[in-house]
Amino acid sequence: MAKLRIIFENGGPERVIEFNPADAPFHHDGRPGSILDIMLGHKIHLEHACGGNCACTTCHVVVKEGYGRLSPPEEQEEDMLDKAPGLTPTSRLGCQAVVEDPNAEITIVVPKYTINLASESADE
Amino acid sequence: MSDAPEKPARNLRSARVERIFDHAPGIRSLFLRLAEGRALRFVPGQFISISIPLEDETRTRAYSIASGSEDAHVIEICFNRVPGGRGAAWLFERGVGDTLDFIGPFGTFTMERAPEVETVLIAEGTAIAPIRPMMHLAARAKEHAPTLLLYGAQSPEQLLYRAELERLAANDRDLRIESMVVPDADCAALYERLAEETQKRWVNGDNVRVRQFYICGVGKGVLRLRDLLRAAGYERRSVHYEQW
Repeated sequence: MAKLRIIFENGGPERVIEFNPADAPFHHDGRPGSILDIMLGHKIHLEHACGGNCACTTCHVVVKEGYGRLSPPEEQEEDMLDKAPGLTPTSRLGCQAVVEDPNAEITIVVPKYTINLASESADE
Repeated sequence: MSDAPEKPARNLRSARVERIFDHAPGIRSLFLRLAEGRALRFVPGQFISISIPLEDETRTRAYSIASGSEDAHVIEICFNRVPGGRGAAWLFERGVGDTLDFIGPFGTFTMERAPEVETVLIAEGTAIAPIRPMMHLAARAKEHAPTLLLYGAQSPEQLLYRAELERLAANDRDLRIESMVVPDADCAALYERLAEETQKRWVNGDNVRVRQFYICGVGKGVLRLRDLLRAAGYERRSVHYEQW
């Protein structure tokens, strides 16, 4: 079984998921077997404003362990990550990073902030 | 596993359908007035994520903000029916007065200020939605660099906002629009033509490589245009794209 450990930078309780990558998809958003797909399928929320289609950075995660066990990022993901706040060398988009190795042990951090340029005001 | 994941509290906003406009069969705009007199400020190119309540769960689907006006209290989204697309089907069932919930705006396919270098916008069909506010941003500026919209569709009626965009261009010497209709063709043929034009004008046409490109469309054709331009020497960050 593969293992995904999730640390929430906002202080939420740490979670650990054990799963068989061959059972993917676990949900319906993001690439089948992606970190997003795995988390949603195990009832753990990860923001994905664009629906998991590599069109935003709200599912940005930082991989602390097991980066090399994930599917390599494609150009579209790299382009998107360029605009993610708090980018690190091991940043990935949860909707694109797929766990295929049944023995993979992955640890990720869900950053506190995601990009949201909303600015809202009420009428005076 | 069909149960929805538990979600933390989000900055959910509500809006009411104020007006419906059908551009063509299967292509519709909804005009959404934000609740409680609120306003939504967005950067041209951004989208909102609408909660789509289905029988078994609530899904989130992204829709580009197509608003052309500066009225921040009403936002327009434009979409078409998609085979098997439950989000669009649900939106087509909304009537005037119905409310819906959304979060956002989000997105990094954005034009923050009017073009400062020559800019080319390429869109196809409903993918004009995020491009339209960019055209208005340029048109509102006192000055901006030459900006061209190359707009393709499979029929003339699928060239949305055509009269409005042509009017903008008629009143602005640095704003142009060129339409391309590839009738009775699938999307692949349309993108083939867009790629041919791109190759002819901005790859083979000169050695200038300081243009900015904004490309929005459906499927792999968008990535083909991206790759064509980057391989020709345009800087990676000069080729902005959004693939639906």
